[in-house]
Amino acid sequence: MEADLVREQPNPDAPSSVQTPGMSTVNRSVLSRAASACLFAALIAAGGQDRTARAQTAQPASSPSVADVRQMAADARKAIDSYKAAGGAADAANHPAIESSATIWQIHERAPRSEAGTIAAVEAIRLLNRAELWDNAHARVASLDADDPAWQRVPSLLYEEGIARKRVDDTIATLSRTIASTTVAANKAAALVVIGRVHRRQGDLPAATRSLEDARAAAPGTPQAEEADGLIYEIKYLTVGLPAPAIAGKPRNARRSITLDSFRGKPVLLVFWAST
Amino acid sequence: MEEVPLLKTLSAKYAKDAVILGISVDVSLDRVDRTIKAKGMTWPQLADGKGFDGAIPTAYHIQGTPELFVLDRAGRIFGRNGSAARIETLIKDALARPPRP
Repeated sequence: MEADLVREQPNPDAPSSVQTPGMSTVNRSVLSRAASACLFAALIAAGGQDRTARAQTAQPASSPSVADVRQMAADARKAIDSYKAAGGAADAANHPAIESSATIWQIHERAPRSEAGTIAAVEAIRLLNRAELWDNAHARVASLDADDPAWQRVPSLLYEEGIARKRVDDTIATLSRTIASTTVAANKAAALVVIGRVHRRQGDLPAATRSLEDARAAAPGTPQAEEADGLIYEIKYLTVGLPAPAIAGKPRNARRSITLDSFRGKPVLLVFWAST
Repeated sequence: MEEVPLLKTLSAKYAKDAVILGISVDVSLDRVDRTIKAKGMTWPQLADGKGFDGAIPTAYHIQGTPELFVLDRAGRIFGRNGSAARIETLIKDALARPPRP
């Protein structure tokens, strides 16, 4: 029996994970891609200059936008994937992820609490994870202040790592340390939500619910609380083995109304979809 | 809806033994109707034009599409998946379960 007890939620950071009905994903223009490549080169160049020279030449590059950071990360992901596809060694000192993640991390260091700086921290860690450079990724995570807003997104990266490497105990340990030391309610809630996800995945639904309720109580009204709410709902109403929520209505392409109950005796496949 | 060809195959293959039910989260009912026709989706399609806030997507906590659920013969949740690719295994497993006494 291969029924997925819990299907993992799409990564909330991935822009394409939630589709708006009637909307298809549009690729960024070639133009912005080219602009980003220039910025990328400028940042790398700036890294090798002395402070005075950098102040003179790299003024625009010192405050990249959120879109710039995302584009840099997208380009870096491609480079990592090409490197992997070409058979590049995962532990090589010249792994492209080391340089690209360091460049992006600099944006975080220059403006740690800004939106672009926050996304830069997350993207830098994500690149290291993609390259499976776990120790490098852990070093970045460890250097991140517990009150840094990046901690609202880092827990889901730790979750992905924990699942991929079957080390969810490490994930919980790292998150517990952040929960103990942060003074930011949303950071605490984000970590609690991910601990809830780990418990849910392991089938410990009471522990999952407790953690999610703690998350909701820690930061009411935040996206983290909303996420916790959704997961609590799923555990309560959408867990494998529970009666499926009722469905009734007249199909667009049939004359007579239907109910889910009338299909008893046969398995039912429900397909939620949107036009693209 | 790149999943439609696979769903058509499943619909034909399991026509006798299982039920496929589509629920669109489109906010335009015209668009739903056009897509159903254009893609040749012959299985029943529900839609209320309220998108993710519709009664059924809300009850199933739908956050993105596609999203698929398999229910067993007794109407209980048997599994779910974010893609149609691996869904046939779930349908087969649900079919292998004996009918409710």
